[in-house]
Amino acid sequence: MTDQDPLVRFAGVRKSYGTFEAVKGIDLDIGRGEFVAIMGPSGCGKTTTLRMLAGLEAPSAGDITLDGRVMNDVPAHERDTPLVWQSLALFPFLNVRENVEFGLKMRGVSKMDSHGRAMMWLERLGLKGFENRRIDQLSGGQRQRVALARSLVTEPQMLLLDEPLSALDAHLVIRMQGVLTRLQRELGITFVYVTHSQSEAFAMADRVVIMGQGEIAQIGKPKEIFRAPKTRFVAEFVGRNNILPGDKAGQEIVVAADRMQVSADQPDAAALPAEFLSEEFAGTSIICYFEGANGEELKAQVTEEELEALDPAPGQRFWLTWAPEASHVITV
Amino acid sequence: MKPSDLVFRVYLAAIFVFVFAPIVTSMIFSFNSDRFPTVPLGSFTTHWYQTAFSRPEVWTAFGNSLIIAVCAAALSTSLGFVTAYTDFRYGFRFKTAYLALALLPPTIPLVIMGLAMLAWLRQLGLSGTLTGIVIAHTVMGAPFAMAICRLRLQQMDSALEAAAWNLGASPWRAMRVVVIPFCLPALISAYCLTAAVSFDEFLVAWFVSGLNKTVPVMILEILQGNVDPQINAIGTVVFLTSMVLVIIAQLLILRKTAR
Amino acid sequence: MAKRFSAYPYVWRLPLLLWQGLFFVGPLLLMVAMSFWLVRNYRMTPDFVFDNWERMLGRGYFWDAYRVTFIRASIAASLASLIAFPASYALAFRVSETVRRWAIFFLIVPFFTSYLVRIYAWQVLLAETGPINSVIGFGGLGPFTMLNSGFGAMVGYMTLVLPLVIILQTFSLAAIDRNLIEAAWNLGARPRDTLFRVILPAAKVGLIIGAVFAFILSFGDFVSPFYLGGSRPPTLSILIIDTTKSGQQWPRAAVVAIMMIVTLFAAAFAAVGAAYRQRK
Repeated sequence: MTDQDPLVRFAGVRKSYGTFEAVKGIDLDIGRGEFVAIMGPSGCGKTTTLRMLAGLEAPSAGDITLDGRVMNDVPAHERDTPLVWQSLALFPFLNVRENVEFGLKMRGVSKMDSHGRAMMWLERLGLKGFENRRIDQLSGGQRQRVALARSLVTEPQMLLLDEPLSALDAHLVIRMQGVLTRLQRELGITFVYVTHSQSEAFAMADRVVIMGQGEIAQIGKPKEIFRAPKTRFVAEFVGRNNILPGDKAGQEIVVAADRMQVSADQPDAAALPAEFLSEEFAGTSIICYFEGANGEELKAQVTEEELEALDPAPGQRFWLTWAPEASHVITV
Repeated sequence: MKPSDLVFRVYLAAIFVFVFAPIVTSMIFSFNSDRFPTVPLGSFTTHWYQTAFSRPEVWTAFGNSLIIAVCAAALSTSLGFVTAYTDFRYGFRFKTAYLALALLPPTIPLVIMGLAMLAWLRQLGLSGTLTGIVIAHTVMGAPFAMAICRLRLQQMDSALEAAAWNLGASPWRAMRVVVIPFCLPALISAYCLTAAVSFDEFLVAWFVSGLNKTVPVMILEILQGNVDPQINAIGTVVFLTSMVLVIIAQLLILRKTAR
Repeated sequence: MAKRFSAYPYVWRLPLLLWQGLFFVGPLLLMVAMSFWLVRNYRMTPDFVFDNWERMLGRGYFWDAYRVTFIRASIAASLASLIAFPASYALAFRVSETVRRWAIFFLIVPFFTSYLVRIYAWQVLLAETGPINSVIGFGGLGPFTMLNSGFGAMVGYMTLVLPLVIILQTFSLAAIDRNLIEAAWNLGARPRDTLFRVILPAAKVGLIIGAVFAFILSFGDFVSPFYLGGSRPPTLSILIIDTTKSGQQWPRAAVVAIMMIVTLFAAAFAAVGAAYRQRK
């Protein structure tokens, strides 16, 4: 990661609750204007990390630095780290405009100014005309945008997002992803986005941080992580990968399903024999599941035409190969 | 409708008749011209109301009851809210004991509370004063206020407070600007309910009051005399007051649960 | 939140402790202490003697009152539970949700209002020259003496306790997972079997808690036994008031009060223990 003047730096940050360690020592730099996604399975510590950044939890050890200033003792309400909540946390007793103005009101901005700025943001997010509505009169997507406007109206350097799209229907998710990406580019501010969804993280982020069991497993651009997972955990969590024993002891080989070739006859000596188990429709392609010689599960992604040509039946023997450059070595 | 359903409905109706009969008959007889309540009824009259409410001691008693109820309800509601918020937001050692302390008063028989309060307030020099009764009623009403506020807090997205902090509100400000507005229906509901409890409560007030009589105490003393239909009149007014308060209290808390 | 010390949590935590400590625990502790004080010439002096305990617990009338109160409260609790049950059953299973909500709405009203007024009304209604006897008289029966008896007291206890018991029972019955009941039908249980083998066991805790509340309220009640029960034999609550009124014998009244509290705690404990005990 670039060392020049990160906006946020986590240095050796840990968080424990009694004997339970939620975050076990993370080091992370987040740059200005970056869209960073923190991704991992539930319980990996990603939300705790975000909450520590917002000041809602205090780190048990380590420092969190924001814009050069160590924030450990700064209470939540004195930080400039607006958060878009998973439940959105819109105030039900305030209307749309009042919700959006809230942060400005807390800072003592004059009524006229906050009114104007709130209206500007509502218009920007396509909510013109909604300012006097009550929250329960809005749809899920509209509420999302109110939550966004509320967090952005104070023009912060950074926006935190805690699984904001998890409650939306699938088609809305796609649309909101577009809204978020565009917004981030236009504003040029840092987005720190926590999610358990691969597709969200990979679609929007400049860099992805994979967390597992309280630790950072890998940081990198989406493509890097997808094509070159560093550990077994990442390989199993991200994408569809086959993990095979390596040539040397202490090594394993990762071959992505879409790089795995299936043939009816043995093409070369290195090919793996496998019995066909089942197929899974994945939209534009099909995932085929096989059982290898040692009982391990193998997967290969094929097109419709390839599937038709193979015409597999359960128990039928096939051969799996991959190009040498398609495999990737990880240390166990 | 099954035949057994009919039986059940008749039974339910009978129960409601039993529960409300004393109230309804009291109201009917308060307008009845006969001195002794019998069937068939006499003629309609407001004579008993006029007589009862021409007595200065009745007005004084009502005045006392009102002052006490207003003050005790305010204190009960505050205490109840504060305790409910503590329960909602914080976990701490001995929390179970803490909550038991908050919720125990209704389980102590009123005669005992009356005796204990009398002795204690006597030590503090507060026996026989309205303040003493206010204190006693606060202790008795606070658990109900706490239950109502706790119910409402349960409905609050726990992120709401944190969202307020996140947007720059200090904890105190967040309480003022987010939590209390959200809880407002519960606060009003708790106020009404504890006011009703105080308005009706007589045993402890009797022990503690000495000469400053509240309405129920006054009723008690009249009762110890003989049958007097003025009691029906007074009782009807008392009942209607508390009933209105309890109904308001329930409507407030029910409407919000729908949201 | 961040580590800076804040008075905030304590502002919320302390009021209850202070208020209850000062005005709830304090009075009760004083009462306990008072039971060991000495009364001479109608004046109380702080002391530590067992006179009051000996006098009170040695008296026949105390134990008579104890027995009467205990028995009456037990009967009241059982009676209330039995009378309430068909109504609660109906509210939980046989009426629409709207009817149930309104029924509970209207049952809460008397629970919080005018107990004294209602007892006075019963005193009038149940009198020998009262309306009920008049109506019965039209049928050629009576007049019945209903006041100044155990019957009168029971009517009073039901007035006090029935709404609460119905509400508690209805809630616990309505909370039973309907799937359990339907599973029972599916396996061939008839209505009576379902009632005894599924519904009652599932609602056991709520039903027992309702009975416990009924017991506690009846045990401590003063109004019903006094105005409708004729106060002979006296209950413990009546005893407390008599003892208090007569010559400053507060310490002895305190003894009665403590015995009452101990009994109530023991009863509540035992009942809740029975409620939560797992069936083998």
